[in-house]
Amino acid sequence: MSTRVKNRMTDEEKVARYRDRLTKEDLVEIYRRMWFARVFDETLYDLKKKGRLRRGNVYGSRGQEAIQVGTSYPLRPTDFVSPIHRDMPIFVFKGMTTRQVMCQVWGKANAPSRGKDSWSHMGDLKLGIIHSTSMLGSTIPVACGVAWALRLDGKTDSVIMTYLGEGATATGAFHEGMNYAAVHKLPIILIVENNQYAYSTPIELEVPTPRVADRALGYGIPGYTVDGNDVLEVYDATCAAIEHARAGRGPSIVECVTYRLQGHADHDETRARQYRPVEEIEMWEKRDPLPRFREYLLSTGLFTEEELPTPPPDVVAEIQDAVEYAIRSPDPEPHTALEDIYDEGAGVSR
Amino acid sequence: MREVTLLEAIRTAMWEEMERDPNVFLIGEDIGRLGGAFGVTHGFLERFGPDRVVDAPISETAIIGVAVGAAAMGKRPIAEMQFMDFISCGFDQVVNVAATYRYRSGGTVSLPLVIRGPSGGYVGGSLYHSQQFEAWFFHVPGLKVVQPAFPDDAYGLMKAAIRDNNPVLFFEHKFLYRRIKGHIPQPGEDFIVPLGEARIRREGTHLSIITYGAMVHFALEAAQQLETEGISAEVVDLRTIKPLDMETIFHSVRKTSKVLIVYEAPLTGGVGAEIAARLAEHLFEWLDAPIMRVAAKDSFVPFAEPLEKFVLPSVDDILMAARQLAHY
Repeated sequence: MSTRVKNRMTDEEKVARYRDRLTKEDLVEIYRRMWFARVFDETLYDLKKKGRLRRGNVYGSRGQEAIQVGTSYPLRPTDFVSPIHRDMPIFVFKGMTTRQVMCQVWGKANAPSRGKDSWSHMGDLKLGIIHSTSMLGSTIPVACGVAWALRLDGKTDSVIMTYLGEGATATGAFHEGMNYAAVHKLPIILIVENNQYAYSTPIELEVPTPRVADRALGYGIPGYTVDGNDVLEVYDATCAAIEHARAGRGPSIVECVTYRLQGHADHDETRARQYRPVEEIEMWEKRDPLPRFREYLLSTGLFTEEELPTPPPDVVAEIQDAVEYAIRSPDPEPHTALEDIYDEGAGVSR
Repeated sequence: MREVTLLEAIRTAMWEEMERDPNVFLIGEDIGRLGGAFGVTHGFLERFGPDRVVDAPISETAIIGVAVGAAAMGKRPIAEMQFMDFISCGFDQVVNVAATYRYRSGGTVSLPLVIRGPSGGYVGGSLYHSQQFEAWFFHVPGLKVVQPAFPDDAYGLMKAAIRDNNPVLFFEHKFLYRRIKGHIPQPGEDFIVPLGEARIRREGTHLSIITYGAMVHFALEAAQQLETEGISAEVVDLRTIKPLDMETIFHSVRKTSKVLIVYEAPLTGGVGAEIAARLAEHLFEWLDAPIMRVAAKDSFVPFAEPLEKFVLPSVDDILMAARQLAHY
């Protein structure tokens, strides 16, 4: 096995069991959301194969659902997120409709970006979703700016959750953003989805320290390393970081150790089984966060098998509806390609 | 009217806009305690406090990124590059993040931000404190680019830039900062110079010198000399480089039929190349001579005085080209 990952929280700091606050309804919703993420991916992979999704790559998140759900679940409507390409379900968890997200996937006129940009580069600041770009890490400084605007407005209760892979922690923007956030104690929670590969490059060629969270030492901020395939462990660490941020004590890094079960995107399925050992992939298949969480829920004795369908039928129906809605939706008119380059409005009244 | 330097005009415009609108804030290196490397923001920290006058780390990416995020949220940040050369360190935030933001948001987000700082040569600043990078940004949709030559324009354009809902790059020529004086209106007059409007700084009939920034002053000096030789040169100060005021340029060229484009940046791929192309496309039959350009040689801006003088355009270069054109 080439993996050398420690899948447990740091020895130095045991995180409080925030999970104990979760009700049965919470647990059902977390379960449901994990399935939403899974079915969302599987549906798009399938449609891409069948040629019904004409453009755009499917950056699957299979195996990383516990992170998407466990980190976003504790957020309030007044909090902000900036998801990355592998985090499409988070847009829905933060308040976009599944139909809107699918329209973005299909590049439709009624999509959040009106067909201008692909997939994950959408946002809605009213919902607390910051638009990202393909320049990984570049949204961290932007998140600092959102935090600065909130500070100027005296809104000190919101936190900003910025997502990135372990690969993006090598960028200059990561450093400049984290340094700025730490200097000014901005309420930023950096969720590092450490899936151990930046496209094909293994983590030992990306990060020199045993843990990605060790990078937090350089900024004097808390860094957590958690099992990213255990949704409740992710939830606990995230809650700790959120509490820290809301108290005005500044940013944290939450490293969620996981594994990208698929290729970098749908085009990469064959090669992703060449540049990575197949045994490694198979080992991580066994750690799939969905069955794991289901087994845990059953072991609590609170749930029957019937209460935990695989997948929940309403999830499948919601995604199917959104796909059909997106396919039916109008394509953008060609001339609109030249709209929205500038704000032609007057700006501040003159 | 108040008599001020170009630097004071910029400083006054920012001060008045910060007094007027609490959404305006400043971020940059050494702008608070020091008051800016050139003193443009002297006294701002004391008046507006550390949340609105942010002494940032040496982090152009963070400085511009913070400005982008805050602007998306409705603030009106002004990010200072200590020298415009350093904007290269934050290039991604300018061209990929700021410029595209409105577009990728489907027209829902406005990005009212200004990135400003000193640019240009003639001060012995050498390679990294002398450059004119406007052409890089001229090429990028979604941005506006400004370079004033006179205090009244600097004052009115800065106010317009702050109030504009788009990212504006504001190039301040450091050679002009304290050399050029002029009058600006009294406070309360709310004087604005709209972005995208060129200004005829000197009327003429034999040729049009189309230029901006420090080169406006070189062109005016040349025009004065040319007049003694019986050559009447019109000087068009673009003031805003993007969007270009082609209407004023076309109007001038239809009048003179001869064009000299002057810019301080390296010749190849400069703003003047685009102007020349558009003139050739639209006014070919009006032209009585080839379009000429005077610009920096395709080199860097070197340190030693004879080297810098050799590379950067001079009044003599303009005179030679103008005479050639006039006699064509």
